[in-house]
Amino acid sequence: MSTLAEQRTTTLETPIQRARKPFQFRRVLPLLILGFGSLLMIAPFVWIIQAAFGETSKAFVIPPLWFPVNPSLDNFISAFEQVPFQLFTWNTLKIATIVTIGQLITCSLAAYAFARLQFRGKNIVFFLLLSSLMIPSQVTLVPTFIIMRQLGLYNTHASLILPALISPFGVFLLRQYFLTIPAELEDAARVDGASVFTIYLRIILPLSGPVLTTLAILTFVAQWNSYIGPLIYINKIELQVITVGLTLMRGRFGAGALGPIAAGIFMAVVPVLIVFLLLQRYIIKSIVTTGIKT
Amino acid sequence: MQAAPSAPSAPSVTYNVLKRREAMIAYLFIAPTLVGFLLFVVGPMIIGIGISFFKWNLLTPPVFVGLDNYTRLFSGDPRLGTIYSTTVRLAIQVIICNIGFGLFFAVLLDRKMPNFLRNFFRLSYFFPFVVSGAAVAIIWTFLFNKDLGPLNYYLGLLGVNERINWLLSSDWSPIAIIITDVWKNVGFYILVFLGGLQGISRDFYEAAEVDGATGWQQFRSITVPLLTPTILFLLVISVIGALQIFDQPNILTGGGPGDATRTIVMYIYEQGFKFFDMGYASTLALSLFVIILILTVIQFRLSRSWVFYQ
Repeated sequence: MSTLAEQRTTTLETPIQRARKPFQFRRVLPLLILGFGSLLMIAPFVWIIQAAFGETSKAFVIPPLWFPVNPSLDNFISAFEQVPFQLFTWNTLKIATIVTIGQLITCSLAAYAFARLQFRGKNIVFFLLLSSLMIPSQVTLVPTFIIMRQLGLYNTHASLILPALISPFGVFLLRQYFLTIPAELEDAARVDGASVFTIYLRIILPLSGPVLTTLAILTFVAQWNSYIGPLIYINKIELQVITVGLTLMRGRFGAGALGPIAAGIFMAVVPVLIVFLLLQRYIIKSIVTTGIKT
Repeated sequence: MQAAPSAPSAPSVTYNVLKRREAMIAYLFIAPTLVGFLLFVVGPMIIGIGISFFKWNLLTPPVFVGLDNYTRLFSGDPRLGTIYSTTVRLAIQVIICNIGFGLFFAVLLDRKMPNFLRNFFRLSYFFPFVVSGAAVAIIWTFLFNKDLGPLNYYLGLLGVNERINWLLSSDWSPIAIIITDVWKNVGFYILVFLGGLQGISRDFYEAAEVDGATGWQQFRSITVPLLTPTILFLLVISVIGALQIFDQPNILTGGGPGDATRTIVMYIYEQGFKFFDMGYASTLALSLFVIILILTVIQFRLSRSWVFYQ
């Protein structure tokens, strides 16, 4: 008995003893490692910003510069001169916005049906949707291309938009959230004579702000960043999107001209950065919850 | 699954009508998803299987060739073995690095520290994950540049005298791809691991401390076992993802030198959209699908022996 009590007092004392010591290398070391790691993550972006705003001839030199020399917008101007970057941006924005709105509609409707309504075949359809999450999208690349071509949609934005309008992942994400909304709320509305659609529109959707935001961010960012789709389906420069546009720029300038390409990268990354900084708590939370629930 | 909605205490005829109407509405609700799913997931899967029995360059009508594409897949394609082994080697290294570094940094981040510092670290590690793979790969082509790249310059300061030919040597180009991939994706792994770590009750550690367990012992006997569901999740999705690496090698090295960094998806893309051999490209895609399916099933089977659910 006494030994146990003794042990307890010693363990209780340890944190106090630790706190008393002014500096302990062991406690600072993790912070140093983390700091070094985040330096490695941030440095490439800093270097790109330097190259985007600095003098073109000084962008890519040894030893590397970390601050722009004679800052100007010259690189941005020559980026726009070489390729129709404003079109790339507009196309990307248009596609990503339509896809995001489309997915919010299709996924929330289906998710509501799977979460709340009773119908024949519900479980089997839901299972099929879920198992398709395991089908790598690249596997259907060739046949989807052929379907698009038969539909006359090669070289149109529709070929990028249509397949992305639905998302089994989105259905799953929203369904899991809808299941956590108390059913009593809907019962009350039903007693008052509200239709299923009214309940979905007036009760479920307003209560699902966070998860809808999450899905919107994930969809928008994925679409903004997609590369292989536009690479295959779009063969006209005026219809092209930012990601492929950047690689086209690299082709035109050659690997030496970092400045204008860095300006292009800067323009491609900044919208994502803004969305990310504004809504990071949704993004992080969604990653963590989908990580745990799946 | 879900309890049926409370039946209204009306006559059963009305109830049946209501039930049927609810089903009708439900079908309308899932219709858009279902149509898209049939057109762009199920349809292409079936068509893909069909095309694999044909030779088709899109310009002339398809020619039925029986199992020719499969014969070529199993014995007639000298490049395929190299490409699959490159893909698998890249995938294994990428997965190990991402999970290893992800867990390492997540454990460090889970320690006591001022909140602003933790947020800053979390943001800086995670940000590359939301940047497009194409932009990331272009940034790294410059960083990896042999003569003017910052990477070789700082390695030189650290005493690496030889300038590494990151993108043009068959020894270094796979490493360049792994570095780029880990730099881009490790933040995702860190976040998921952090989520898992936060789900572990502090009580376990307090009890272990009472028993006098060291930090390493606690990590091995508490943290890792309780994180096994998270590890399984990350393993499954990273196997699916890593076997499909495309953006980085396509932009960084174009698959070269030779086939040193050519992944299977690059090869599918090449066969389909450069050589316009739709039949063989579909056969290759199906082979990847089957491999991923088998690996996923194996992982879930094996997981029974090592994943620990609380």
